[in-house]
Amino acid sequence: MTDRTTYKFEPLWKIRLRLFVRSFRKNWGLFWESRIGPLGLFIILGFVLFMAAHPILMSTVWDPRVYDPIMGFDPKLVGQHPAPPSWAHPLGTDPIGRDILSQLMWSTRSEFALGITSAVITVTIGTLIGSICAYFGGLIDMFFMRLADLVMLFPFIALLIVMQSIIPMDLLKLALIMGGLGGFGSITIVLKSQALTVKVKPYIEAAKVAGGGSFHIIRNHIIPNILPISFLYMMFNVTSAIFSEAALSFFGLLDIRMSWGIMLNTAQDAGYLGAFGYYWWLWAPPGAAITLLCFAFYLVGRGLDEIVNPRLRKR
Amino acid sequence: MALLDVSHLTMHYTTKMGDVHAVDDVSFKVDVGQALGLVGESGCGKTSVAMSLMKLLPDNARILAGKIVFEGLDLVPLPEEKVRKIRWKGISMVFQAAMNSLNPVYRVGDQIIEAIQQHLPLSIEEARAKVAKLYTLVEMDPKLMDRYPHEYSGGMKQRAIIAMALACDPKLIIADEPTTALDVIVQDRILHRIDEIRKELNMAMMYISHDIAVIAEVSDVIGVMYAGRLVEFADTVTIFKRPVHPYTIALMSAFPSIKGEKRPLVHLPGEPPDLLNPPQGCRFHPRCQYATTICREQVPPYQELESGHYVACWNPQREGGANARA
Amino acid sequence: MLRFIVWRLAQNVVVFFLFLTVVFFLFQAMPGDYTKQFIMNPKIPPEAREALAERLGLSGTVWDQYIHYIRNVFTGNLGVSFEHYPREVWDIVAERLPRTAVLFFTATLVAFSWGFPLGKYIAWKRGSVGDYAATVTGVLFYTIFTPLLAIILLFVFANQLGWFRSGGFLSPRFWIRAPVSPQTVFLMLIATMLGLIGWWATGRLVTRRIGHPRPRKLALRTFTTLGIAAAVGGWYTSGLGPYAGDIVWHMVLPLLELTLISFGGTMLLMRDSMLEVVREDYITTARAKGLPDKIVRDKHAARTALLPVVTSFVLSIGFVLSGGIITETMFSWKGLGLTYLQATLSQDYPLAMGCLIFTGVLALMAHLVADVLYAVLDPRISY
Repeated sequence: MTDRTTYKFEPLWKIRLRLFVRSFRKNWGLFWESRIGPLGLFIILGFVLFMAAHPILMSTVWDPRVYDPIMGFDPKLVGQHPAPPSWAHPLGTDPIGRDILSQLMWSTRSEFALGITSAVITVTIGTLIGSICAYFGGLIDMFFMRLADLVMLFPFIALLIVMQSIIPMDLLKLALIMGGLGGFGSITIVLKSQALTVKVKPYIEAAKVAGGGSFHIIRNHIIPNILPISFLYMMFNVTSAIFSEAALSFFGLLDIRMSWGIMLNTAQDAGYLGAFGYYWWLWAPPGAAITLLCFAFYLVGRGLDEIVNPRLRKR
Repeated sequence: MALLDVSHLTMHYTTKMGDVHAVDDVSFKVDVGQALGLVGESGCGKTSVAMSLMKLLPDNARILAGKIVFEGLDLVPLPEEKVRKIRWKGISMVFQAAMNSLNPVYRVGDQIIEAIQQHLPLSIEEARAKVAKLYTLVEMDPKLMDRYPHEYSGGMKQRAIIAMALACDPKLIIADEPTTALDVIVQDRILHRIDEIRKELNMAMMYISHDIAVIAEVSDVIGVMYAGRLVEFADTVTIFKRPVHPYTIALMSAFPSIKGEKRPLVHLPGEPPDLLNPPQGCRFHPRCQYATTICREQVPPYQELESGHYVACWNPQREGGANARA
Repeated sequence: MLRFIVWRLAQNVVVFFLFLTVVFFLFQAMPGDYTKQFIMNPKIPPEAREALAERLGLSGTVWDQYIHYIRNVFTGNLGVSFEHYPREVWDIVAERLPRTAVLFFTATLVAFSWGFPLGKYIAWKRGSVGDYAATVTGVLFYTIFTPLLAIILLFVFANQLGWFRSGGFLSPRFWIRAPVSPQTVFLMLIATMLGLIGWWATGRLVTRRIGHPRPRKLALRTFTTLGIAAAVGGWYTSGLGPYAGDIVWHMVLPLLELTLISFGGTMLLMRDSMLEVVREDYITTARAKGLPDKIVRDKHAARTALLPVVTSFVLSIGFVLSGGIITETMFSWKGLGLTYLQATLSQDYPLAMGCLIFTGVLALMAHLVADVLYAVLDPRISY
């Protein structure tokens, strides 16, 4: 029998830290086991390195006047643009003489920024609204569910055209709009149903009995319990944000300076897409990059799914 | 020949953290029409034994040794196809927490008919008639057979599960904590009903429970399990009046007698061992007040002490130990 | 349940009305109007542009236009398209919608018929190499950049192999002497497909009486083949066969793209759903009853796992428009999606609104149907 008279007190933060490290290690183990999560993570890391390589290259090997992704031009190959891959331009050049690899690398940063910002905003709004709807139910619930219906129907393209005419569009503003609009859409429905499963748990009732007010319960009980799922959906949202931006840019609906979608758009506008095989370096690299990054984030999301949803776990 | 003869059954679960010794060297017999009660704490391996008997083990479980001879046939090496034929018709089971044993999207009657049609050559009408009879047997209105599971109360679901277990006239029914989720009154009724049915149909039964009171009411023989091993086995009266294994003694002493003598309740210090790393020697020795050197070093053999009374202990307390019951 | 439906319908009407209003003003907020595309054209004097604006009803105040529009919508008049003047919006939508619908439904059905068994199968064998490979493939198809897939398909099948055309709804030269319009042929094609599906369904009902599985399957297969033979024969004798064939030929690639993407999604969803169900106690009970593995998987696990998949399908009907836009644009398939995009870009707002109205109603109803369906399929749920 342990002697209960000598109890060593540890500061609370230390205990919390220890618990955090322990659960992190356990979850990491589960994530690793899923095999697809690590694959996705690996690809994302690849992109991060890819992104980091650009400023290094620009300040060392690459001449900014030639290799700048937006303003560059290679005078040595005048008349041959879009030039096929060569030693100087590993992925060739685009119709107006800019290096493709440089464009690809430079855009990586904005894709990450766009994806993550948009996803964070969407999920934050979705989590808050979902929890509130689940907890209060009734008219509030009805209002937000109908709002979600409305938002899902919303003609995003028309909205974008209007916004672009009012304010000059860049990726950050696009992220804000996509994030905001997405947050009130279908993710609210999903997170609400998750919040509902938490709401019926006994500890919520216990908290109420102990005198917890509505917002206290929502903030301290409901939201922390759906956070893992929110985090999970964030990954999927990154995928759809990157995809949407790429599609909009490709169709020329977005007036920004450079992104993977814009690269495809440049190729199409100049009429090179129809030639497929002859000018593959114009469409294959950006297309592949978009696909791979979306793919990677989705895989990470699914890997997280194995942690978050205990019923999917193996024994 | 006994209906069921289990000898030296050993079953482990393989997990990331190692092998869990769920069942080690368990041997017992059940005769036709006999009621065996398997009792022990949570996690002692009772359910694992049951699942092994029906070979319903998950992928990471393996039967490492032993024989499960049912009606003369050893089930351990038998391929899945043949085992399927024995399931439900030879041995059926009432699961723990039967609430979820019924598929919510199908009618209850249909689920029982499904089991019947799998094993018996009956037409739909005949099967329905049989289900109606079964319902009456468990004291439920046959008309309820066309309802969905969520329309049943807890007690009704339990009865339906029992009816389903009886559907193919099995020789042996394994009832795993059949009444744990029910209130005491319903528990009593159902328990006695099961016992009556059993005697009527001369069926063998294996009750699994941690509640010794329940086991005492309905079993002919009792097996006490601890940490994956069978530590004592005898008929009910012997177990209660003359337990010899220190664990059994503690179990018997752990609840108050309603008749007179007030005495302090004995409680067992410590906790059951972690089956990933079971203690050396006798698994009970860390908590046993009679433990000696040999207990700490060697596993006690499972031996017949007197006729029909088996025990696995180096130090069986014939006098009932320091806290004998009268 | 009835109260639930009625109450939801009422809510839907309100939402729809709000939707109309918001979108109307959104379109009005776009800089300029339909006539602005003619500003740069030196051949069109400003007076002509103003006259055009007058005729199209664009010269009143925004509020006037709004009232006018709402009043018209609620009498069923969706207006006249600016771009395709003087064709009525109804007319255009009615023409383009079936095309998009056919693509969507065929793709989803095919994707489902592959995705459902595959998802079911790999979930049962969870953790195996096959599971891993299938999941990764599924995710890849689901997340591939749609235009990229279109380009690849066009490259491989149209460009390199030359098996299919690189776009469009039909080959105009082929149709010069056609006795009937392409729309008629197309509608006949749809009728045939629906007829075949109905035929197959009747076949299933009729052969259900046959007790044993093997002769039953044989009977069903013969029945279906007879139906297909009759359909083909009918087309052949009518002489319109080659025209239908031309349309189908053009349909293959866009269909393939939509199917591949949809397949990824369905398979993943089915797998996830199955994995949740497999953990349940009633699956163990089913096994304990001595039922064969396949029956446990199909009758018990898959049936319950189907619920989320079916509801997701119903919900996706509401996104028929947005889902199709990219594909239709890449393959120049003149469906509703492409029409909507062009209308928005040229500010042909009656047409754009017409498309949106259509999708709006469809999506709201689909959401309601999905909720009701869930209650029907899962006896535990009731409103």
